[in-house]
Amino acid sequence: MAYAYLFKYIIIGDTGVGKSCLLLQFTDKRFQPVHDLTIGVEFGARMITIDGKQIKLQIWDTAGQEAFRSITRSYYRGAAGALLVYDITRRDTFNHLTTWLEDARQHSNSNMVIMLIGNKSDLESRREVKKEEGEAFAREHGLVFMETSAKTAANVEEAFINTAKEIYEKIQEGVFDINNEANGIKIGPQHSAAGGAAAGGAGAGGAAGGGCC
Amino acid sequence: MDFFKSGLKTVLGAPEAGQQPSAGETVERLVNRVENSTLLEDRRDACRALKAMSRKYRVEVGAQGMGTLRQVLELDRADNETINYALDTLNNIMSPAQFEEEEENPNIPMNIGEQFTEMFIKDHNNIQLVLDLLDEYDFRVRLSAVQLLTSLLTNRSKDIQEIILVKPMGVSKMMDLLGDTREVIRNETLLLLIKLTKGNANIQKIVAFENAFDRLFEIVSSEGYSDGGIIVEDCLLLMLNLLKNNSSNIHFFKEGNYIQKMLPMFQTPDDAEDLGWSPQKVSNVHCMLQIVRTLVSPSNAVQIISSCQKIMKYAGLLDSLCNILMASGVPADILTETINTVGEVVRGEVNNQDFLGNVMAPSNPPRPAIVVLLMSMVNEKQPFSLRCAVLYCFQCYLYRNEMSQASLVQTLLPSSSDVSSLTSGQLLCGGLFSSDVLSNWFSAVALMHALTENAAQKEQLLRVLLATNIGSSPVSLLHQCTLLLQQSTKVQAKVALLMLLSQWMSYCPSAVSAFLKVPGGVGYLVNQTCSNEHDDNEYLLQGLSAFLLAICIHFNDDSVENYSKDSLKQLLLKRIGMETFSGKLSEVTKHESYNKAAKHPQLRVKAPGEILIDYEFCKLFKSLEGVLVESLTVKRENGVESLPESRASPSSGALEQYKSLIRQQDARLQELTQQLDGLLRQNTQLQSALNDSLASNSHLKDENTLLKAQVSAATPLNHQAPAPPSQDDAKAKEYEAKVQHLANEVAKLTNELSLAQEAKKTATEELEKLKKDQEDLLVLLVDQDAKLNEYKMRLISLGQTVDEPPSEEDLT
Ligand SMILES: Nc1nc2c(ncn2[C@@H]2O[C@H](COP(=O)(O)OP(=O)(O)OP(=O)(O)O)[C@@H](O)[C@H]2O)c(=O)[nH]1
Ligand SMILES: [Mg+2]
Repeated sequence: MAYAYLFKYIIIGDTGVGKSCLLLQFTDKRFQPVHDLTIGVEFGARMITIDGKQIKLQIWDTAGQEAFRSITRSYYRGAAGALLVYDITRRDTFNHLTTWLEDARQHSNSNMVIMLIGNKSDLESRREVKKEEGEAFAREHGLVFMETSAKTAANVEEAFINTAKEIYEKIQEGVFDINNEANGIKIGPQHSAAGGAAAGGAGAGGAAGGGCC
Repeated sequence: MDFFKSGLKTVLGAPEAGQQPSAGETVERLVNRVENSTLLEDRRDACRALKAMSRKYRVEVGAQGMGTLRQVLELDRADNETINYALDTLNNIMSPAQFEEEEENPNIPMNIGEQFTEMFIKDHNNIQLVLDLLDEYDFRVRLSAVQLLTSLLTNRSKDIQEIILVKPMGVSKMMDLLGDTREVIRNETLLLLIKLTKGNANIQKIVAFENAFDRLFEIVSSEGYSDGGIIVEDCLLLMLNLLKNNSSNIHFFKEGNYIQKMLPMFQTPDDAEDLGWSPQKVSNVHCMLQIVRTLVSPSNAVQIISSCQKIMKYAGLLDSLCNILMASGVPADILTETINTVGEVVRGEVNNQDFLGNVMAPSNPPRPAIVVLLMSMVNEKQPFSLRCAVLYCFQCYLYRNEMSQASLVQTLLPSSSDVSSLTSGQLLCGGLFSSDVLSNWFSAVALMHALTENAAQKEQLLRVLLATNIGSSPVSLLHQCTLLLQQSTKVQAKVALLMLLSQWMSYCPSAVSAFLKVPGGVGYLVNQTCSNEHDDNEYLLQGLSAFLLAICIHFNDDSVENYSKDSLKQLLLKRIGMETFSGKLSEVTKHESYNKAAKHPQLRVKAPGEILIDYEFCKLFKSLEGVLVESLTVKRENGVESLPESRASPSSGALEQYKSLIRQQDARLQELTQQLDGLLRQNTQLQSALNDSLASNSHLKDENTLLKAQVSAATPLNHQAPAPPSQDDAKAKEYEAKVQHLANEVAKLTNELSLAQEAKKTATEELEKLKKDQEDLLVLLVDQDAKLNEYKMRLISLGQTVDEPPSEEDLT
């Protein structure tokens, strides 16, 4: 319970780009080779540290399939950060970014931090989208950009943590109204003594769950 | 009624003398006025009159006025009063309840509210109109809109849920109302959300995402937790909806530290016993217990269960629950449910089980809580459901815990004969041989759970001796159980003993040989198996006897003369025959009680008479049935000689069979997962095709309702209503044919689609392969190139000339 802030994230992007895998790698340090189609939305959580402060990330992994698009829209409003993911080996997933971005901008609060992610960087030989193209798109739309691999874990930590840093900075600058929960940010309970042990146990369990088995 | 009449008068003008207009005519004029009047006041008055009529004449008002009323919602938004009348009228028309005013009218169909709902939601924009009105701050409008949505959800929950789900901000809007400072609105919103979230995982997740748990805990705490009113119960019911079978939300609940927030709910003040429990408090606490159980339900994923259990112990929730267990003045049904809950909070989690094992009851002398609970279990005077709960809790306490299993058996061994204090083991032995058949059953099953997957305790329990009659020498527990099996006349006791012995003797050759040495044991089993009595419970007994007999053969180490593996098998073949034997064995899984028990670890029976089979026994039976039959058949085909390795270690054969079974199941599982993916896709397509068909179908129905309503409105007094024109029938037939045709078309297309998908998949795979090959070749090429260069260099260094353009290096 000893977190200073709690941020809500969503992960969006076409089906099969590796959203669920990114989340699993981040929370459990595991990779899932079979495509386990997400139905609706799945939840994940982890604690991170920024600037010496504990920050709890609550992450909603959405389904990329068209049929679930309207469900996904319900999650924009309350999120502080979004990872917008495409697959560097499938150009169509890159081409769809504009649609995703429009959707996100229309339904989210204007301060939501969006991180653009080109996933599956381990599949260099099958690359269809150049890194420069991703960078250009991000520059043009004012997003942060990163290429990741949910398989090798390259840049996965960074993607989630840098997004959090960006949000944290916005809070410091006073851009975010932290008292409005609709922004996807909560301040941790000030009196952190009671039940501290339990929260520690739960948090550690969440972070290290994959390591032991 | 006076108001009603005068209201009509002012709107319609006084009726012409002697000629009362029919309700249908009145409604028609009112609807016309709403539709055509340019004066807001006129429209408002007409809406008010329609509202007044809508309870008694909902068919007329609904059939003629629905379209107009929805138009009001759209066009008259500026006037809250008019909007409010329109909303209330719609709510009356579609109300799931029957009004007093219409009780005497037999012409109103029972499900009229549902039929009108169906018509109303045909146009999804209508729902949007009502949702938009939630933004209106006016008290009456907001309240009426919430109530209308609640009615709609009551009538057609699945449809409305799907519609709301695709409306942007649909769920968010309702969630916002939970923060309304006007309690009436907040409370009605709670009821709305309970209906909205029932059985729809997607909506449940959105509601949780919208901070529902925070809001609900705020309300619960401000209302005084378990001492609060019905509003607390509503909050808890909503939480329960959000968590039930929703692993994502359970995960969120756990990660959001909400388990810790439940703690104050269970903290009862010390003087609680004097205050007594109000019925509301009983309901509140019952809901809280349900929430706890939903989090740690054995049907959840193991990881979720175990992490919730850990938090519950750290946070002190388990402690609080145990306090309720030991407190006085707790109503019996709460006590029962608390026992069940404590069971599931400790099940399979060693630290929690230990904690429970160390809880002391404030009795005199102090006794372990477990002992006190078991005393209730073997006490005839305690309520049946309470005794079942104790058994379940005790099973959970033993589940996957070798220590707690061992310490139970320990209390029966001669070394620990501390006569002064009552032990769990003594209670169970007492129950086993008591005259109360339920005590027999509970005790045998409890003992059985001490042996589950625990080879060491099976051996230990063989050492237990009982003093029977004064003067005669003590006999072993197993001996006594076998004698009791032969002597008992009660089905439940016999079933329980057969289950206990099966668990005990499986994978334990020394228990088998101890059994074989008891006079009459084998004979009893053979006779039972052969018995010809026709009765479901007799069939079950025959099957269980066959099972135990087969265990005697399969796990036999040939240590008892006359009852070696082979001679027993010969006995079985000669006296029973293989066909009959496997027939009888299969009776077990056919029995209703088996199928019920196999579903869930907790016994789910209503009456004492229904108790027969236990969940863990089902698992044992399922895992051994195939093995036993196979081992008997295989040896028969090989002649008398049994396979050498299966003689050496009876269980190694079984192990192999498990393994191959697991392998098979694994393959099957993968196959099924793949099929599932395909089917899911197909399902969405079919669903949309189905929706189309349904739409045209219900369109027909609407027309029908409308026609009927119009007929009854037009001829309210004419009881010989003419039969519906056959033209309608023809039309309906035509539509049906069309629907059928469309359905066929859809099926055809789906089929083609899946073929195409299949083809595409193979093509992609081939492409992948080719790409990969190409890559390999490229790598090879680069290799060759490098080698070539190297040779060239060597040649050059050896003074040879190479007739090729010099490399760049040479040039620089
Ligand atoms: N090589 C490689 N494969 C990946 C990577 N990330 C995901 N995959 C694979 O891509 C497929 C899809 O991954 P998911 O994470 O299930 O995709 P998703 O975006 O969650 O898809 P939806 O749930 O349908 O929206 C799986 O077979 C993964 O194994 C990666 O970084 N490298
Ligand atoms: Mg996914």
